[in-house]
Amino acid sequence: MLIEVHDLTKVYNEKRGLLPASFQVEKGELIAVIGHNGAGKSTLLKMLAGWLLPDSGEVFVDGINLNNRPSLVRKIGFVPETPNLFGFFSVEYNFKLFARLFQTPFLRIEETLKEFNLLSYRHNKVQDLSKGLKQRVSIGRSLLADPPVLLFDEPTSGLDFDMTIEIYRLLKRTHASGKTILFTSHRPEEIKALATRVIVLHQGSLVFNGPPREYFRSGIHEKLCA
Amino acid sequence: MIKNIITLTLNDLAIALQNKTIYLIVFIPLFVYVSLNLVDQNGADFQKIKIGLIQGERYSPVIIKSITAADNVFAISWLSHEMEGKRRLKEKNIDGLLVTSEKEPHRLELVVLTNASFRTSAIVQSFSALQIAAEGGGNNWISNIRPLQDSGIQKQTLPTWILMLVLLVSFIIIPAQVAEEKEKQLLLGLLLTPMREFEWLLAKLFSGMILIHLAVIFLHLLGRFALENSLSYIAFIGVGSFCFSSFGIFLGFLCRTQASAKTLGVLFYLPFLLPSALSDVSQKLHATAPVLPSYQFYEPINAILLEGGRMSKFPLQWIYLLSVGLSTCFLSYLLLKKRWLM
Repeated sequence: MLIEVHDLTKVYNEKRGLLPASFQVEKGELIAVIGHNGAGKSTLLKMLAGWLLPDSGEVFVDGINLNNRPSLVRKIGFVPETPNLFGFFSVEYNFKLFARLFQTPFLRIEETLKEFNLLSYRHNKVQDLSKGLKQRVSIGRSLLADPPVLLFDEPTSGLDFDMTIEIYRLLKRTHASGKTILFTSHRPEEIKALATRVIVLHQGSLVFNGPPREYFRSGIHEKLCA
Repeated sequence: MIKNIITLTLNDLAIALQNKTIYLIVFIPLFVYVSLNLVDQNGADFQKIKIGLIQGERYSPVIIKSITAADNVFAISWLSHEMEGKRRLKEKNIDGLLVTSEKEPHRLELVVLTNASFRTSAIVQSFSALQIAAEGGGNNWISNIRPLQDSGIQKQTLPTWILMLVLLVSFIIIPAQVAEEKEKQLLLGLLLTPMREFEWLLAKLFSGMILIHLAVIFLHLLGRFALENSLSYIAFIGVGSFCFSSFGIFLGFLCRTQASAKTLGVLFYLPFLLPSALSDVSQKLHATAPVLPSYQFYEPINAILLEGGRMSKFPLQWIYLLSVGLSTCFLSYLLLKKRWLM
């Protein structure tokens, strides 16, 4: 078992947050976490990434408790919905900063720039890039330390069709390289195209956990959309 | 069109309320009101002027009689010699020292710390009034004022400029920087690396201290101000930059956005700057300013730069600044651990 989530809870107010949620993730899965706005998707991912501290519950990654942050940062990469890059600096600078902090050889930067078709943008300031390119830089940066688990919060939000397809391709390629991926989404076509499993959150509660085919057959999707 | 303008105006006001800019509108008049009440006014509580007289000095009997009679205005200290008087002036135990004038023995010379202070003006005014009361006119008893700090107006304002620079970096630049990293989730991004919380905190602290040191060095180079007692000076700039940078980081942690941090910075900047910098022109400010960390920084810097003071005279101030720095640093660490307002 790669990830074990036990009774993870975060309450902002009566209507928002995540009520106790428990599930497990096997190595190599590609899981779509879906639900309406405010259902608790981003809260779940942010807690898994260590951005948010849970009110209660526990998460284990490879048997290590999430509270032990320094041991886990190399195991989880997180790509937030809005890329959190140092906009004043170049793509290369952003990569170098994180490579230094991860003590990753700079050779890995070259590989990542190549892998994500960013070689021609390496000296461009991040703030001058399009949203899709920023998202590519953000994904590339999260892969610098080669973590086995990747979390994507709405990876295609606000992207045009071509860029969305590009991100799908990246996600599939990353998954094929052996990574375990959890991503949040609103889009049925995204779930159909990518996910090997679906976790559905509704008003902070986990209401479905199973394969995509079962999810679409169960009618939960229609009920949630109604 | 008018409806749109009203809607947008209300929206702007709501934003001002949300990012706390509106507090400045309330705060600045309130601050001015409090400051005006702290600055000495006619009829305000009057503190006696502490005058030093030298034993064996041949003062005019009329003058001595007048000063002694005005015991509600003057508190007299008899000193063994002029050197002791100068020492006690520097220690601020007395406000002025009276010596007989060499050129006109029946008149006096007033030795003070600095010309531009409320104490000097109070002494001169009081003596003028006493002289008119005793002699009904004629020459003023004080023929000359000798300041101990004769370093020129540029150098005399140097401690105030330094305080301004230190507080500007600490309360305006640093909180905004910290809040920006929180607002744009850059800090959270960095926390996904093996970097530890205290490493980020120390880096922020060092960058603030470096900025302050660079600003002070630049000021000295441009103004061509020479340094005396440089070790004492560096010790206080060092601890002051640590204290206020740490304070600034803490302020940044109390805000969610850059705009709030800038507002909060100004809210702290003015009350830390003005009472300390103006403490020499008002008795009330002089009495209240010592509660501020900024005064505990300003006073030693002032003494070191203008009066040849040394760090050994201000160990409590140094420890106080260090303690404030360490406390705010610890509070920032706790907020960072809790991912406060991130």
